[in-house]
Amino acid sequence: MQSWRRRKSLWLALSASWLLLVLLGGFSLLRLALPPRPRPRASQGWPRWLDAELLQSFSQLGELPEDAVSPPQAPHGGSCNWDACFDTSKCRGDGLKVFVYPAVGPISETHRRILASIEGSRFYTFSPARACLLLLLSLNAQTGECSSMPLQWNRGRNHLVLRLHPAPCPRTFQLGQAMVAEASPTVDSFRPGFDVALPFLPEAHPLRGGAPGQLRQHSPQPGVALLALEEERGGWRTADTGSSACPWDGRCEQDPGPGQTQRQETLPNATFCLISGHRPEAALRFLQALQAGCIPVLLSPRWELPFSEVIDWTKAAIVADERLPLQVLAALQEMSPARVLALRQQTQFLWDAYFSSVEKVIHTTLEVIQDRIFGTSAHPSLLWNSPPGALLALSTFSTSPQDFPFYYLQQGSRPEGRFSALIWVGPPGQPPLKLIQAVAGSQHCAQILVLWSNERPLPSRWLETAVPLTVIDGHRKVSDRFYPYSTIRTDAILSLDARSSLSTSEVDFAFLVWQSFPERMVGFLTSSHFWDEAHGGWGYTAETTNEFSMVLTTAAFYHRYYHTLFTHSLPKALRTLADEAPTCVDVLMNFIVAAVTKLPPIKVPYGKQRQEAAPLAPGGPGPRPKPPAPAPDCINQIAAAFGHMPLLSSRLRLDPVLFKDPVSVQRKKYRSLEKP
Amino acid sequence: MSCASGSGGGLRHPLRCQKPWDEECEEEAVCVIMCASVKYNIRGPALIPRMKTKHRIYYITLFSIVLLGLIATGMFQFWPHSIESSNDWNVEKRSIRDVPVVRLPADSPIPERGDLSCRMHTCFDVYRCGFNPKNKIKVYIYALKKYVDDFGVSVSNTISREYNELLMAISDSDYYTDDINRACLFVPSIDVLNQNTLRIKETAQALAQLSRWDRGTNHLLFNMLPGGPPDYNTALDVPRDRALLAGGGFSTWTYRQGYDVSIPVFSPLSAEVDLPEKGPGPRQYFLLSSQVGLHPEYREDLEALQVKHGESVLVLDKCTNLSEGVLSVRKRCHKHQVFDYPQVLQEATFCVVLRGARLGQAVLSDVLQAGCVPVVIADSYILPFSEVLDWKRASVVVPEEKMSDVYSILQSIPQRQIEEMQRQARWFWEAYFQSIKAIALATLQIINDRIYPYAAISYEEWNDPPAVKWGSVSNPLFLPLIPPQSQGFTAIVLTYDRVESLFRVITEVSKVPSLSKLLVVWNNQNKNPPEDSLWPKIRVPLKVVRTAENKLSNRFFPYDEIETEAVLAIDDDIIMLTSDELQFGYEVWREFPDRLVGYPGRLHLWDHEMNKWKYESEWTNEVSMVLTGAAFYHKYFNYLYTYKMPGDIKNWVDAHMNCEDIAMNFLVANVTGKAVIKVTPRKKFKCPECTAIDGLSLDQTHMVERSECINKFASVFGTMPLKVVEHRADPVLYKDDFPEKLKSFPNIGSL
Repeated sequence: MQSWRRRKSLWLALSASWLLLVLLGGFSLLRLALPPRPRPRASQGWPRWLDAELLQSFSQLGELPEDAVSPPQAPHGGSCNWDACFDTSKCRGDGLKVFVYPAVGPISETHRRILASIEGSRFYTFSPARACLLLLLSLNAQTGECSSMPLQWNRGRNHLVLRLHPAPCPRTFQLGQAMVAEASPTVDSFRPGFDVALPFLPEAHPLRGGAPGQLRQHSPQPGVALLALEEERGGWRTADTGSSACPWDGRCEQDPGPGQTQRQETLPNATFCLISGHRPEAALRFLQALQAGCIPVLLSPRWELPFSEVIDWTKAAIVADERLPLQVLAALQEMSPARVLALRQQTQFLWDAYFSSVEKVIHTTLEVIQDRIFGTSAHPSLLWNSPPGALLALSTFSTSPQDFPFYYLQQGSRPEGRFSALIWVGPPGQPPLKLIQAVAGSQHCAQILVLWSNERPLPSRWLETAVPLTVIDGHRKVSDRFYPYSTIRTDAILSLDARSSLSTSEVDFAFLVWQSFPERMVGFLTSSHFWDEAHGGWGYTAETTNEFSMVLTTAAFYHRYYHTLFTHSLPKALRTLADEAPTCVDVLMNFIVAAVTKLPPIKVPYGKQRQEAAPLAPGGPGPRPKPPAPAPDCINQIAAAFGHMPLLSSRLRLDPVLFKDPVSVQRKKYRSLEKP
Repeated sequence: MSCASGSGGGLRHPLRCQKPWDEECEEEAVCVIMCASVKYNIRGPALIPRMKTKHRIYYITLFSIVLLGLIATGMFQFWPHSIESSNDWNVEKRSIRDVPVVRLPADSPIPERGDLSCRMHTCFDVYRCGFNPKNKIKVYIYALKKYVDDFGVSVSNTISREYNELLMAISDSDYYTDDINRACLFVPSIDVLNQNTLRIKETAQALAQLSRWDRGTNHLLFNMLPGGPPDYNTALDVPRDRALLAGGGFSTWTYRQGYDVSIPVFSPLSAEVDLPEKGPGPRQYFLLSSQVGLHPEYREDLEALQVKHGESVLVLDKCTNLSEGVLSVRKRCHKHQVFDYPQVLQEATFCVVLRGARLGQAVLSDVLQAGCVPVVIADSYILPFSEVLDWKRASVVVPEEKMSDVYSILQSIPQRQIEEMQRQARWFWEAYFQSIKAIALATLQIINDRIYPYAAISYEEWNDPPAVKWGSVSNPLFLPLIPPQSQGFTAIVLTYDRVESLFRVITEVSKVPSLSKLLVVWNNQNKNPPEDSLWPKIRVPLKVVRTAENKLSNRFFPYDEIETEAVLAIDDDIIMLTSDELQFGYEVWREFPDRLVGYPGRLHLWDHEMNKWKYESEWTNEVSMVLTGAAFYHKYFNYLYTYKMPGDIKNWVDAHMNCEDIAMNFLVANVTGKAVIKVTPRKKFKCPECTAIDGLSLDQTHMVERSECINKFASVFGTMPLKVVEHRADPVLYKDDFPEKLKSFPNIGSL
């Protein structure tokens, strides 16, 4: 019994031990069998050497500067870069002056108009001797317009050979040191910083103005296809990427499933446009996509993107590797709405700013070269890559973005809290004493400038005002009103006519509104344009209507940058037009601002609405019996020069918050605005 | 097995079981068994003699086997740890002198010379980078070896301090992988930073025998000092076939755009000298040249400048008569005056960086560190990281032949731009020049951006200093665009159970010409919406969305049903707005599609007594918010509200059942930097049969709560984004002396 019990306990102990042994051993064996998990610190990273402190530097202190004694290198033969092959000394003084070789023999209409557009630009000069850039137009070979070696060739130094269409001219001469501006040059032949990459323009590209972008709304429409693909015959086909993972794979094309719609379209309607890098017409497709607001997805393009020197294409297009199609597709599907939104808008901005017309392409080319010459005073990247674009933000005005009316938000700055009043005194030449008093009464007024522009002698005595008053003796020209006087020291200008009449609180309120919209014109009196079916042209009227598209510059706030733009970027012909038909000056100024902002102006309430509804045309003789009839065609002439109608209509007026509300007058800040 | 049962037995061996209670279970258990067996052994003699010998032998054998097994198991448990830790010890404390030696036979293969036509799509094997959801390349570093030729003479210095740091930086970064099969980029540990310290042919042979060399595909070499006497090539002379080169001192002729990476020449002084940031502004010298060993021709030019412009130009040179023990690299002299280097750089506005025999100069780094604007005079030099950095913002590049004009060129730069450049120069140094690590990571980021372009870092992220990034606003709807009127808007009515009032709102809103769809968000989970037949018959599609939870944020959810860009959020009790007013509101939104355009306006004020923000709904001359009880906005803001609202604001709003409109006002103002637009005159938002916004707002606790919201949101946003304006939008002819019937929107402001 006892032994049985002993034996039992022994057996128990034994089996327990065995159990433990098996368990433990098994566990250990299991651990061995499983692959060791990587331990965080002990991965095979770069070792921490014991003697790392003793290692020598790659270059001994003091050794570095010593290596210098060696003659400067001569530029490599054959190849050119900007420093070696362009002589900027000729561009000193006036900046970029361009001479265009006249065409030999009969020329095509396109050629003639390109010539005209350069001749009308601020870069043009007649004399090849004064020019710092000599432009050789090398147009379509099919029409036999290949140039022969020009006279002042000088081994191509300071020459730009402009080829809008890549139909190659037979090389009749060596390019030498000439720069080449060419449509979609191949990456291998392109010399960055020296050549200029142009867009591949279709034959029928408009010369001026050009079709606006197709984008009608900021975000993609719901249900619109994610991807559009090129078709063989120049159309686009949308692909439903949900079902097929290989939309651009040849095999899939043979099997047009229900998800694929076969449709011929001239412009794609999709969020992304896939453009293969190989096909020669890819560059053409690229431009179509831009216009359509379809984000181009370029698969390993072999050509240089247009104006890549200045345009940041990562903001408007996606350049992906053609060898990873699935990854690209996945990336497109997963792209955040914020990025899609930004890319879409950028395509439209770039199209409108640089590509929509031949004229813009040529001016952009010249601007790129001017930026190289300017060096430090070139456009900062921000000016090239955000609206309104470098053609409309002149670097001669300033290179600091915060000086322009467009970039306050990006710069995190605000417009100044003061303005300068610029009062134009045309005939009959009465000093506008009442007006000066009203304007000087504004707490925001920094200075008053009187532009004396009539035959009468300057009055010797002026009012005593709280703000400095300067009198400028003008040249009796209407366009003088928009000259960028160096005496104007504030961002905001209140442009006035001596016969305008404003109250201090009107001025105060309008200025506060301008501070919220510094890029627009804020005015009191308005007029609107309309399409005149009867005459087949544009017309405009100052009659009271429910909408308006222009504000009269006889009483308006705007940024002083528009003076620079008016004087330095408009074609001379337009300014002459304004001088000859003074009523045109309002239209012209409104055109410029609308072309830049792509927005309508802003109207604020004006107490004397009734009496002065008619345009305050300067230059009218005597105390107006009747406002002179507006020169009938000035709006059409200006529209023709712009190439399109930039004016936009607005249906609103900005009033003080409590304007004419049924509350106590004591609560209201701008009481006097409500007086009849 | 549990520790408690083992320890509860009280059989702990006095010697081996001294571990504290919280030791590992396994060890405890082992200890228990061992103690137990020992105990039985001691008792053994009393027990065993009574058994038969056969049994005895059997038991003894059995016990010994068990014992042995246990000991072995125990050993097994503890051994592996010590083996591993001794391994660790080996890794951490290895010496560079002990790295394996590789003998390179004289006839081992040499790679082709660098291929100048290489581009990412021709020479780079992108398949290796495969699909990576994080859009991050993986970099493998070869183990360090020492290469010797047939005679045992070493090929180069094993590794320099900088290259060791560089590899360490890569190894510590997210790019690193130790799995050679998953790597997309390979970095040899063969140090080619300085071409002067290596033997070209043998180094090339060493590269060629790397295990994944494959003509250098996807291999990245770092070189800062290329070329050697007498002709000083501008790229590393070591034949490297298709390998990418991160080189300091490329010229336009050797740099393969979009393939190579131009990097700075690291200045070891940066690590030694701490130059605190000096604010921008005018400094003692306008132009300074601190380089020694300049070409005599250049020195003459510079000295001519000094003669011409006097005090404002300073040309320094090596010191000739320094006393013993003074580091000559840390001193510069002009005649007999001695200056500390690099401190003297902080005294100058512009500093000359002239090419030497090499284009890349380490002095560039010193100059940037000092916040001095570099004047780079080195024709055809590819500036460091020029693929992503905008050097126009931080430097002046002057052609060599224009050296005599340098002074006038610099003088034409406006003071404000100079200060901007000074700030930018210092920022470039801090971000990309400061350390070897910064250089290595920027290089990898550039390559990463090429491979995953859709996830690339933007120009602003590379170039804008932190202060600018913080202050600037990039409006998500930046394109000036007036959407066509034909698009119309979608009205979204959030409702709980006020069916009657809801139906009135639906009927009123459906009269607005530009309405294109009506969406009712049914926020009541306990009650079904009325049957289809009971809803008002309207001319546009009406959709009812049922929500899963009664949350205020349901109002701002980006429903798929919203097809128009314009959204009108309207409460189910706002029946006092006329069709003219709503239509006009939509027209105003079209002119300001990036803003909130709403009817009742509100204001935030700073309460000086309480030192916090206060909510104001009185009749004031200013507006900073509009209530979303009736407001138009772009549907993108629904997406932002739902997915990108900072902090815990969204949950906070849902928990408090209040302030979703204030949150929306904050969000839109913060992201666009613009003020709201209040439309049409003030109305009493009161209706006889319902509690309207104003009725509610008058409640004192309500006001307190709303003020709290503003303070809470301002602290989450870290700023007060709301903008105060003094205007509202009215129709052009509002209250003008003009026949009412000719006005577009006559029915405005009437109750």
